[in-house]
Amino acid sequence: MIDPDAELVRNAGAGDAQAASALVRRHLPRMVGLARRMLNDAAEAEDVAQDVFLRVWREAPRWKPGAAKFETWMHRVALNLCYDRLRRRREKSDPDAGVYVADRAPLASDQWLARQRSQKVHAALADLPERQRAALELVHFQELTNIAAAETLEISVEALESLLARGRRALKAALADVAQDLIGDADGASRV
Amino acid sequence: MDRERFEVLLDAYGADFRRWPDDERAAGEAFAAQDAGAAAMLNAARALDRALSLAGGAPDTSALAARILATAPRRSAAFDTRAALALAACAVFGIVLGYGGGMLAPLADQDDGYFTAAFEAPFGDDGDEG
Repeated sequence: MIDPDAELVRNAGAGDAQAASALVRRHLPRMVGLARRMLNDAAEAEDVAQDVFLRVWREAPRWKPGAAKFETWMHRVALNLCYDRLRRRREKSDPDAGVYVADRAPLASDQWLARQRSQKVHAALADLPERQRAALELVHFQELTNIAAAETLEISVEALESLLARGRRALKAALADVAQDLIGDADGASRV
Repeated sequence: MDRERFEVLLDAYGADFRRWPDDERAAGEAFAAQDAGAAAMLNAARALDRALSLAGGAPDTSALAARILATAPRRSAAFDTRAALALAACAVFGIVLGYGGGMLAPLADQDDGYFTAAFEAPFGDDGDEG
């Protein structure tokens, strides 16, 4: 198995600033996106991404390619950090945790509409059970193969497919109006 | 591929065949091309994919990237540590070499008369005479 990150990780661990920068460029947006969708909270997502990279810097000097790809390991770390935060939220039962705070800046109507729809999708994702959300995150948003996603979640491919299907069915019901609006927009645009 | 398997995969992976398992992608595409009902199923799955894309997109991470890179390992620090260790090793080696070398090279037997002679009065006892 060839790990495209192996050399970068080795060099970053040895203090090569360019390698560290390349690792951050390659993975940071994906880590922030993952945490943002898992936690439905932009600030917490940045904290998680920062924690992931602190662990990367700590592990990099002794990283040995082999059992798992570096990216798989990073996804696992990010998901575990998200699970920890979700568990703490449940323990504290903070009603405001994970609630998106809208930007107060005025928006043009189409921007406002796009933001409303985006928030609705984030909210629907946040309502999914954690494992279904994680499965969808890895396959749909991170575009991992089914095998890599199953490996990251430490489940079988069949179990992964079950999580994905249940998650998508729930989202289909929750987002029927958004999907319908988008189809309408696309039809309108195609007629213009 | 039969309809049942097609539906299972569509339910799990959506309408974009790039997300399908590598070993079933081609069969799925072939089924979609020849089955009369596949287009409607694909359209329904595509609508959800499109809705989910509203939660995708790359966030702006430039400020965060700078903060993270400030915590990355530095070569200079690593070099200083190695250099300090190397210097310490050299010092220890030098001490051992100096001490051990001295022990290994015995002094030749020498008449120490030159040493005691140095403390003898240089002018003998001529001054006492007279």
